[in-house]
Amino acid sequence: MELRFNDVSKDFAGTHAVDGISYAMGKGIYGLLGINGAGKTTLMRMLCTIIQPTGGEITWNSSNIFKLGAAYRDILGYLPQDFGYYPDLSVYDYMMYIASIKGLRMAEARERIKELLGQVGLLKYRKRKMKELSGGMARRAGIAQAMLNNPQILVLDEPTAGLDPNERIRFRNLISELSEDRLVLLSTHIVSDIEYIANEIMLMKDGKLFYTGTSEELISSMEDSVWHCTVPKQEADGYLERYLVGNIKTTAWGAELRILSKNPPTKDAVRQAATLEDVFLFYYGEKAGDKDDVSM
Amino acid sequence: MCFCSIMVRKRVIKMMFRCEWKKILSKKINRIMICAAAVLAVVFSCFAIGSVRYVDKNGALHTGIAAARKLSADRNRWEGDLTAEKFAEIVKSKQKLAKKNPQGIPDDAYGKMIQSYGDIESFVINVVLNDAEYNENVLYQMTEKQSKELYATYKENMQKMAGEYGETPEQVEFLKKQYRKIKMPLSYQAKDSWDTMETYVETYGIVLAVIIGFLASGIFAEEFRTKADSVFFAAKYGRSKAVKNKAAAGMLMTTAVYWGGMAILTLVSLGVMGVSGFRTLYQIDQPYSMYVMTYGQYYLLMLVCGYIASLFAASLSMLVSAKMHSRNIAAGIPFFLYCLMPFIGRMFSSVTVVFRLVPDVLFNIMANVKNLTVFQIGSIVFRQIPAVMLLYTVLSVLLLPLVYRSYCRYGLRPR
Repeated sequence: MELRFNDVSKDFAGTHAVDGISYAMGKGIYGLLGINGAGKTTLMRMLCTIIQPTGGEITWNSSNIFKLGAAYRDILGYLPQDFGYYPDLSVYDYMMYIASIKGLRMAEARERIKELLGQVGLLKYRKRKMKELSGGMARRAGIAQAMLNNPQILVLDEPTAGLDPNERIRFRNLISELSEDRLVLLSTHIVSDIEYIANEIMLMKDGKLFYTGTSEELISSMEDSVWHCTVPKQEADGYLERYLVGNIKTTAWGAELRILSKNPPTKDAVRQAATLEDVFLFYYGEKAGDKDDVSM
Repeated sequence: MCFCSIMVRKRVIKMMFRCEWKKILSKKINRIMICAAAVLAVVFSCFAIGSVRYVDKNGALHTGIAAARKLSADRNRWEGDLTAEKFAEIVKSKQKLAKKNPQGIPDDAYGKMIQSYGDIESFVINVVLNDAEYNENVLYQMTEKQSKELYATYKENMQKMAGEYGETPEQVEFLKKQYRKIKMPLSYQAKDSWDTMETYVETYGIVLAVIIGFLASGIFAEEFRTKADSVFFAAKYGRSKAVKNKAAAGMLMTTAVYWGGMAILTLVSLGVMGVSGFRTLYQIDQPYSMYVMTYGQYYLLMLVCGYIASLFAASLSMLVSAKMHSRNIAAGIPFFLYCLMPFIGRMFSSVTVVFRLVPDVLFNIMANVKNLTVFQIGSIVFRQIPAVMLLYTVLSVLLLPLVYRSYCRYGLRPR
């Protein structure tokens, strides 16, 4: 089981949405982390054969996925970022329709729908129209449809977008549950979505994968670079301009700052254990005073 | 093993098809449109029934449910072969009445006699006048001998018509061949219900085509409107069978809506007015028409032409919505084809032959069966209506692979 990007790129009117990505994936959960506009959705849409790369190729077990066509899509489940559905169909009819275009037989589809709707907690809402579902429920219906064909590759594009914290936790657990024996690629710009469940994290920016590794590896790359210090309130703005600040807490004694820096920002700064959120801030964050690069 | 796999595939397609139908019918606007088509069929039937006028022996005008049956019963006094004696009797009767009432024939006289032979009287006038404008005076100048020799005049004029309208020897021979199909003496039975239905079938057909176009345009635009395209195209059959299935659902929807609507219109209208005249030759009304058919066949021809026009509207709407990923323009195509095109076509039909082959011909059979429009390719001569029928049937079918291709290739561009 190997899904491989070979120098994949995609241009839209002269803009490199995806720029020469090469990477291989096997079983497990892969978290694709990046800010909005990094190229995550474009990469995923190519992976789901919705759009074709401008250059390079994507292969599944050494065969080009676009040449594999229906055989590849047969092992694919996809929950798009902008999950659209047929609003006037009931949850059950919607699932039946998707089951039919995924090639499931009637009896098989019925069984699978019952099982999946139960798993995502929508069984009692099966007769409700899709348009009457809440955002979280619709997302759960989305993941259920993606799982209908019991896919070997499950692609989830920002699956937790717009969900409240409770729904987000439920969703995360659900993905973790469903990930067994398959390749799950999950894109997000919310670090906590993947921090604990992803086996491997890919950081994407300007259409490129610039860092990949496990959560621990990424965090360890940030060791000795996270500091906690308390500064007078009136000096806080100056720190915001000079450093990447992960957190500010105003107290009676001043402003408590969590700063990313190779050197201690103050004499009494205390070194802190890094988190994945710090990594995200390090690569994608901006200081109050600049727009581009981060200098440490 | 192979048989089992085929059966499984068939079941999957059946399920897909059923789901596609559910998708179409789940939309409120689509259900409203289908209901509107059914209601309009009843409304048009009421208009048709209400348009029949019957004058009784006392000169009183009757309309409504009973009028059509009474009119048929009155006219069926002349049912059977139209012999030379019958023509002479009618001509004589009309001349006598006109002489007696120089200021105009009174209503009671019309109800007693003239109404019953109105169809035959106009047949006589049309035969004698040949290609000239309708003029009732010709009847008052006819002698008994001329009346009795009406079929001879008819045959003679057919030759003239063929010579006049046939631009090549092949076309002349073709027209003569068509005329030879007319069996004389003509047999008569009152055909008012069919006559009445002409206008309503064609108008209602246009309404149906517009509704069908609207419904069909949504089939391929739905995924883009609802942003369900990503899930659709990432599914196993999202670029193959599911697309074919959509096109098939469009065609079946067209068939069901069209024939369902027409069935209501026909059953209600003819159920009330009766089917007298089913076997009456259309030439009773248009003696020199080259379409030799009974009124029953004429009605069927209008229905079939309307169906072809609806299929074409559906195919074209599906193609445009598949290409543009929106129903906005696609839904207006039937309106353009069948409501606006006739005006454009009429302006240019004498200038270019292409406008005699536009699809609105299919909804204007009533006018086109009267025309002696023939086309010739090499030595093959053919009539306008069959040519248009064949052309748009073929086009309706040929557009489907284009619909399929443009939809299933979405997002995939040659590199």
